[in-house]
Amino acid sequence: MKLSLNWIRDYVDLPEDLTVDRLASDLTMSTVEVEGAENLADGLKGVVLGRIVEVTPHPQADRLRVVLCDVGSGEPSTIVCGGVNLEPGQLVAVAVPGAMVRWHGEGDPVEIKATKLRGVMSNGMICSSGEIGLEELFPAAREAEIMDLSGFAGLPGDSIAKVLDLDDTILEIDNKSLTNRPDLWGHYGMARELAAIYRTPLKDLPSAVLPEEGSGIPVRIDRQDRCPRYTALVVENVRNVPSPYWLQCRIWKVGMRPINLLVDITNYVMLATGQPTHGFDRSHVHGGIRVRPAAPGETLELLNGEILNLTGEDLVIADERSPLGLAGVMGGKRDSILPETTEIVLEAANFEALAIRRTAQRFDLRTEASSRYEKSMDPQRVDQALALSSTMFRDLLPEARVSGYTDTYPRPLECAQVDVSLDFLRRRLGKDIAGDEARDILSLLGFTATVDGDLLHVSVPSWRSTGDISLPDDILEEIARLIGYENFDFRPPQITLSAPVNQRAVELERHIREYLAFRCGLQEVFTYPWIGDEYIAAAGEDERAMLSLQNPPAPDEGRVRSNLVPGLLKSVFTNLRYFDAFRIFELTQVFRDDGYFSPNDEREALPSQDRHLGAAFVGDDPEKLFREARGVLEYMPRIVQTAPLSFEQVRQPAWAEKKLWLNILLGDEVIGDLGLLALKSARAAGIKRE
Amino acid sequence: MLERLNELKNAGLERIAAAETMEELQLARAALVGRKGSLTELLKEVGKVPPEERRAAGQAANEVKEILTGALDGRQEDILAEASPVEGVVDLTLPGIQPPSGGLHPVTQMCYDLNDAFRSLGFEVFSEGEITSELYAFDNLNFAPDHPARDSMDTYWLKGCEHERGAKRLCLRPHLTGASVRYLQKHGAPARFVYPGRVYRNENTDARHERAFFQYEALIVDRDYSFASGKILVKTVLDKVFGQDVEVRMRVGFFPFVEPGFEIDMRCLVCGGTGCKVCKHVGWIEVMPGGTPHPNVLKAAGLDPAVWSGFYVNIGLDRLVMMRWGVDDVRLFHSADLRFLNQFR
Repeated sequence: MKLSLNWIRDYVDLPEDLTVDRLASDLTMSTVEVEGAENLADGLKGVVLGRIVEVTPHPQADRLRVVLCDVGSGEPSTIVCGGVNLEPGQLVAVAVPGAMVRWHGEGDPVEIKATKLRGVMSNGMICSSGEIGLEELFPAAREAEIMDLSGFAGLPGDSIAKVLDLDDTILEIDNKSLTNRPDLWGHYGMARELAAIYRTPLKDLPSAVLPEEGSGIPVRIDRQDRCPRYTALVVENVRNVPSPYWLQCRIWKVGMRPINLLVDITNYVMLATGQPTHGFDRSHVHGGIRVRPAAPGETLELLNGEILNLTGEDLVIADERSPLGLAGVMGGKRDSILPETTEIVLEAANFEALAIRRTAQRFDLRTEASSRYEKSMDPQRVDQALALSSTMFRDLLPEARVSGYTDTYPRPLECAQVDVSLDFLRRRLGKDIAGDEARDILSLLGFTATVDGDLLHVSVPSWRSTGDISLPDDILEEIARLIGYENFDFRPPQITLSAPVNQRAVELERHIREYLAFRCGLQEVFTYPWIGDEYIAAAGEDERAMLSLQNPPAPDEGRVRSNLVPGLLKSVFTNLRYFDAFRIFELTQVFRDDGYFSPNDEREALPSQDRHLGAAFVGDDPEKLFREARGVLEYMPRIVQTAPLSFEQVRQPAWAEKKLWLNILLGDEVIGDLGLLALKSARAAGIKRE
Repeated sequence: MLERLNELKNAGLERIAAAETMEELQLARAALVGRKGSLTELLKEVGKVPPEERRAAGQAANEVKEILTGALDGRQEDILAEASPVEGVVDLTLPGIQPPSGGLHPVTQMCYDLNDAFRSLGFEVFSEGEITSELYAFDNLNFAPDHPARDSMDTYWLKGCEHERGAKRLCLRPHLTGASVRYLQKHGAPARFVYPGRVYRNENTDARHERAFFQYEALIVDRDYSFASGKILVKTVLDKVFGQDVEVRMRVGFFPFVEPGFEIDMRCLVCGGTGCKVCKHVGWIEVMPGGTPHPNVLKAAGLDPAVWSGFYVNIGLDRLVMMRWGVDDVRLFHSADLRFLNQFR
């Protein structure tokens, strides 16, 4: 997620001496991971505002003009330019020598130098939007059109970043670090964190007086479990015009594309508060709004042009006729804000996280809205969004009128209440902390706390009450991170010594591995537990006892090993491409669909998962290999100190050559097989023998 | 007689001096002072000389014998000092020959290094089966019922339990943490143990991502164990792996089974913290998550969270091996490719 530091500063006065590096590091330590911080002005160094004084034809080229341009450096500069919309008096962006631009908006940036173009000296370049990376903010209507900045205030020579309000640091936040913090998915939420970190006040968002509840469009929610709250404003007499530059610029800076005023307002409100909103064309809403599951077979064309076949699991916003939008994910193309829209229904609603995630997954649609709803937003935040929206309509479209308001919110979210003992905090923090100190820290984040002897009664704000904070330990974390983790010194743990660590099974396994590797010259390998069907067949494994995966890595790797032989066959096959002789072993678990056991909980029944040792000896003399392998086994008990093994023919392994095999016995029990790989199995595993 | 002795002495000394090898010298010894040697033969004749000369002849013969024997022994030492089993000129710049040996997988090597470090602190080594249930993989670990990791898009569920939940829904374990509850249920607290092993995630593979990978997890549980003491686990791992004192920082991080949770960074060893490509210019490298076991996890383990607390760390073994040896593709670890594995002998 991207955040504009200038935008955040609307809500909080950050310390004057605070550097961006420091801010990024403090936020990373206490709140979320800042992955990058880039000032947009850095990419616009040497690009300044210019005023065109005179435009004359180029003596040597039809398509070029010789432009006299005031760039604030005394005498106007001569610049050769191919722009098709050059006019005297025009304000333009000029890259002076030394600036970095992308030629025709493509490739890596190159440095501008004073140079002769077709015989005329050119001291810079008048830029098109693409050449300085601003094509989304200043789309060119035609080829070779330069940016016309005549509407902007500024003097020739002013840096373009300043003129265009692009002297702004954009913070890139790692979304993974935000998954448990729905409150941080907007600038206001992040401003609250920074206000707390720097102990400075958080400013209020605008408040607004809404029309009387019930005065708007009727709303019915069929599934209140999946839509706890639905509010709708009716806004009359709107016009769909381009947004003012400041609004377009703010949206663009944090990664969204400006579209038109009505849509931009909804996006701005979401980026400010975290609460998604959506506008429908009022004239397209027949009867009232109904929030309902889609009827199986119903279709909906989304704003992005995709046509969805909806399922009964998907929630839609519908009128009495048909779906208008896919709840919490994206609006419908037919009924959302249109160029000719004059009256809108503005939705600010709350949807249950899981259902939104499932729907977004089903259609592979991760939108700005769905990724916010997935995090479990608090329904109270809708109020902030409504107030900010109506303020923006009032300021940006004075003739518009918010005429109706409906709020369906049958069971308001109760804020979490947590009691935490100060003694608990002291013990677990390893720090002395007074009651009012804890209370003050929490109040920075919007918690209300009262001290009652050793107890701290904490009332959690709505935006932290949707699963994020509910336990004393959660409160401890809030206090600890605002004290600053760097302010806790390492405390060596005090432990009680009772008995030496003596784990024979653990040691036996290590001894076996080291024996095989260091005394017997075998190389240890690891292979996947899922194994290709061809190797299972080659090893002649009994498939009935094998377990399978629901979603295997590959269609022919659906089964998990009950034996190490297939994996070793595959390893031998792949290594024979590069080696003629080698010895490998693997010691790990294999699984069988039997021997179920309950290691801890009686309700649980796990399949047998014994540890097996498998080894392969590869070379050109079968009898010698067989004897070597037998030798490794015969000497193993002596070295790793276990009971001796014996060898006998009891039952032939499926993969073994009929003349050269033995079973490995511990006492009377067959515990393993030793054999030469049968030709049939070798061929089935792709192993060729010369 | 004396003359003959003198001749024999001179001829003998010449022959001894001319012997180049041990074999020639051996022959000379036999020919001169052996049982049928010429001196022995001559000594037999001492009895035949007139009695008045016999004493002088005997004396002279013994002198010659001593001289010859001394010369033989001296020459033998000289020959031994000169001799060499190596013929010709030897190239001393040739590299050594590697002892014939197999080897442990690099992940096993790293794991045993860490086991040694933790056992020196009195930790036990524990393992559970790689097949576990949703109860232990998720429910016990405070994963929300609708947590995305429970989806089959993320976890390898076994066929046949599509409609089961909890203890009856089985999977290849997606992480090691479930084993911590198994251990605590059996052994109670206080506890110090590590539980290395392999875990499985259903994801697309590339040089940085694998479906099967190795982790190393350590947990200490004690009365009111503070997160401020958690660093002991972090330091044990990093100091062992990197063989030097590594600077560490703990910052906020979120994982369902810990509260508070941390991302743990180490000071970049390449640039020393000034910022470079390896650390993406921040001076720190994220190495492991960690944190205090969530109260719900302790409850699942049968422990009272008001009394007991602790600290987890979990580190990717594959990633540690990659950092230690500069391996650039995680998929090599499961390839069984001897061209790769032989490099770790």
